[in-house]
Amino acid sequence: MTEIPNQSNKNPARQNEFILRLLSLWRGLFSVLAASGAIAPWLGIFPNLRLWQGLLLTTTLGLASIFSAIAAAEIIKRRHKGRTISLFIDYLGLVACILIILQVGGVFIGIDALAEVFGRSILFLLAAFVGYLISAAGDYFESRSTTQKILRQVGKWIVLIGMVLFLLTANIFQGLLAIINKLANPMGITAIVSLIIFGLALWGMWREPTASALKAKTNHEQMLNGWLFLSPNLLGFLIFFAGPLLLSFYFSFTDSDAFNTPKWVGVENYAKILNITIKPLAAPDQLAREALDIQVYDEVGRIKFGNGGILFGAEDKLFWLALRNTLVYALFAVPLSVIPALLLSNILNSKLPGMKFFRAVYFIPSIAAIVGISLVWQWLYNATIGYINYFITIGVEFWNNLFNTGLIDPKINWVSDEKTALLAIIIIAAWQTMGFNTVLFLAGLQNIPGELYEAATVDGAGPWDKFWRITLPMLAPTTFYVVSTTTIQAMQVFEQVFILMNPPEGPNNSTITLVLYLYRSGFQNFKQGYASALAWVLFIVIFGLTLIQFQNQRKNSLYE
Amino acid sequence: MNRKIWKLINLLVLAALALAACGAPATEAPAAEAPAQPAATEAPAQAVATEAPAQPAADVPLRWRTRPDNKEEIAVYTQISQDLDSSLEGITLAYEPGGTEGANYQDQLKTEVAAGTAPDVFWIPGTDVADFATRGLILNIAPLAAKTEGFDAQAFYSGPMYHLTYNPEGAKSGADSGALWGLPRDVSTFALYLNLDLINEAGAPDPRELAKEGKWDWNAFLDVAQKTRALGSDIYGYGASAWWGPYGVWLNASGGGFYNADRTACALNTAESLQGLEFQRALYQDYDVATPYGEDPEPPFRAGKVAMFQNGRWATPGVRTVPFNWDVVELPTGPNGTPGNWLFWGAYVINAKTAHPEEAWKLVQALTTAETQGKVAALGANIPSRVSQEALDAFLTFTPPANNQAFLSGITEAAKPTAEGPLWAGSWPEYDKIMGPAIQAVLTGGKTVEDFGATICDEANKVFTK
Repeated sequence: MTEIPNQSNKNPARQNEFILRLLSLWRGLFSVLAASGAIAPWLGIFPNLRLWQGLLLTTTLGLASIFSAIAAAEIIKRRHKGRTISLFIDYLGLVACILIILQVGGVFIGIDALAEVFGRSILFLLAAFVGYLISAAGDYFESRSTTQKILRQVGKWIVLIGMVLFLLTANIFQGLLAIINKLANPMGITAIVSLIIFGLALWGMWREPTASALKAKTNHEQMLNGWLFLSPNLLGFLIFFAGPLLLSFYFSFTDSDAFNTPKWVGVENYAKILNITIKPLAAPDQLAREALDIQVYDEVGRIKFGNGGILFGAEDKLFWLALRNTLVYALFAVPLSVIPALLLSNILNSKLPGMKFFRAVYFIPSIAAIVGISLVWQWLYNATIGYINYFITIGVEFWNNLFNTGLIDPKINWVSDEKTALLAIIIIAAWQTMGFNTVLFLAGLQNIPGELYEAATVDGAGPWDKFWRITLPMLAPTTFYVVSTTTIQAMQVFEQVFILMNPPEGPNNSTITLVLYLYRSGFQNFKQGYASALAWVLFIVIFGLTLIQFQNQRKNSLYE
Repeated sequence: MNRKIWKLINLLVLAALALAACGAPATEAPAAEAPAQPAATEAPAQAVATEAPAQPAADVPLRWRTRPDNKEEIAVYTQISQDLDSSLEGITLAYEPGGTEGANYQDQLKTEVAAGTAPDVFWIPGTDVADFATRGLILNIAPLAAKTEGFDAQAFYSGPMYHLTYNPEGAKSGADSGALWGLPRDVSTFALYLNLDLINEAGAPDPRELAKEGKWDWNAFLDVAQKTRALGSDIYGYGASAWWGPYGVWLNASGGGFYNADRTACALNTAESLQGLEFQRALYQDYDVATPYGEDPEPPFRAGKVAMFQNGRWATPGVRTVPFNWDVVELPTGPNGTPGNWLFWGAYVINAKTAHPEEAWKLVQALTTAETQGKVAALGANIPSRVSQEALDAFLTFTPPANNQAFLSGITEAAKPTAEGPLWAGSWPEYDKIMGPAIQAVLTGGKTVEDFGATICDEANKVFTK
């Protein structure tokens, strides 16, 4: 690795030395401030802070304090590690300050206003963009300087007028005043001052003379640049995915209702979900209350045989019904959206005319909005005026007239009969997912070397042999991916059920699914803690199924 | 140069995005000056505490929301908000429609309440009042009402006011209970929307005439339903949606109901309740006169294929566009001697976290004046919640339907409507979650009434013990 050459002369070197001292001082000061902040929640300084908030604050600031202290020592020793740590801490501090300012400024809850304002001003923004294009068009007239000059001038004026009108119609001055008003409080001012300090510290540490003084090498710069590029996604993941994930794990051990301070209940939620009992039945139709402690358990189902049977009870009956329905759904929806997709992709992979058109046609359901799709299917399934029953009736009448038979029109109550309600959902899911899976299989098929088929042809293999012995094994990685993702998707079925069914649980809870139950518990029944526990149980179920698929794949894969 | 312009445009757009979001009072969350009430038992004291800090500002911004049933209602509420904005001194109003016909108003509202961004004043259905009150999400406005000159809780229908003045501390209701959770926006009842063309074609007696003669009972209803069903395999005599309202009336009309008298235990397994359920089951399964339970009956009714469609006043604007002769009639009288109708209602309540409780209370009163309610009722979707002959007389003029009296008959004391109400001794959403699918199983033929009666209360009663 080559060291970045130090091009500084004597005077800037002294200046650089001064900046380095300031930076090490800042790191020390920050370490002390962060340590104080980490202790503060436990000294009663923030009485309204919840336990998890206190823990989070202490952990975050405690780590920041420790690393900042390390960085201060490393900077004094002129080691690059100090720079790396400093940049990380200051960058995160800067992002945190921006978020705090946006929060205090009320930006996050102003999305409606944003949409409204931009609806008014978007035309002027487009005008400014057109101006930019006109100005840029000048680049194509290098040889005609007058034309180039006119285009650039016209473009600039259009941009200027467009932007001024855009800013005026976007109420930028009103917004400016509003944000000043909102930030004119201790929290807002502290955030702004901190933003400036973090920004200056970041600049001070990032600059080349500092990098040289701390013996930065090319690989250090590459590493930092890499992290910088990665940071938007990484921070987004941490804030919007990992954070809520951990929070939901904490909530799963509480009685949180989303409104009041949650109380720690230990594993009570999990115990309730998993508390089941199996009892023998004295008679097939024996009442559940005679076999179960009805104060605790409800009947989930029974198996009848001979003069008795077995009764399956659970403290949370709906969870087990939801689990059963979800597994049944996945059991049918996954094969129905994978096997036809595999066959279809083989047809669409052929060089017959019009195949590109059909590829698009089959893909359309995947990109259509699920709400729209479900509403359309709701009409199709309508037992009285729906098209599906209408065509069945026509078909039955046609058959009876043609063959003089007495077939009875089944008049299926697709969504209102507990025997067909889940099937109705499975059909929609298979129809919708099949197109996307077809595209994945198509991509897999195009990666199979043509030589294999040629060799097989020479060996006298027929189409079926080629499919069974070449296509299918070579598609194994794609198939594994398709089956895994479709299974995960199936285990999370929600939208179709929620929109199509009325009520969503369906007759006798025949369409209640795990995510639907989770949603109902958390957002309609004020049981966020319990819903979080349900979410983690669902995660374990999906994780288990995926693990089995992985092991199966490893065992059977050609690519091992 | 172009790169610079491009950068400048980007920076300005970003700044405008942030500033535009900041500078809009319409979406500003209510400031959390008043602490959330931890429990209903502490509510009255807390409510008094909220009186003190409110300093009337020069121009207090208030956000309010009510669930509209259609675009026309959004327009009416928007106009009402503009009118009140002019008439209420020192208050600037911003009306938010909230959910739409397809969106779930309550889920959105609850999420906003949890996030602390709900409006200052919002509407909730009557069944939700207990949950919101006991969790401290809405303000107890009894102290504010007590010092409001001319305010009279008895000006509203007693059914909704029983629940709106219910104080869980001491289980007491009434003007002196120390609790007032809101004021009812409107009331409504069920009626049967009639396709007169189908009824005439079937040669069935006119239900309106039977009602006038006092002969409109379950048998007469079944007779009309069967005669119209006989018109064709795709014609149905009766249709109702799949939720607690439609099936509840049959239970009520036979003398049963969802709960016991003081709403502390399940009563779905009483002989009366099961009688009502059995009649309804027979409509679907034995007589086969009804559109399949769980399927939306409104599209087939609008398509002219259902003779009697059970729904509330809120369905009127939609039905007004159907291409056949129609009218409404009261629900048929059951074995109990009443039609078993519901008195549906919802209330304007005040966010417990509002920074301006006094101004919010002024708004709630303004939204429930006879004048404001008249403007909404004129649209035809609901009935004023004030007990006022003037308001009722005005309501009768909002035709079609010609027989508006059918809705008002459902409200009268003689009709003994059961007020839609929350469960103060349990969780209504959980009760509904147990009851709904079980009843649906009966009505779709998946379970017998006997099996239902034998098991339902074992499960449903757990909701009360929590």
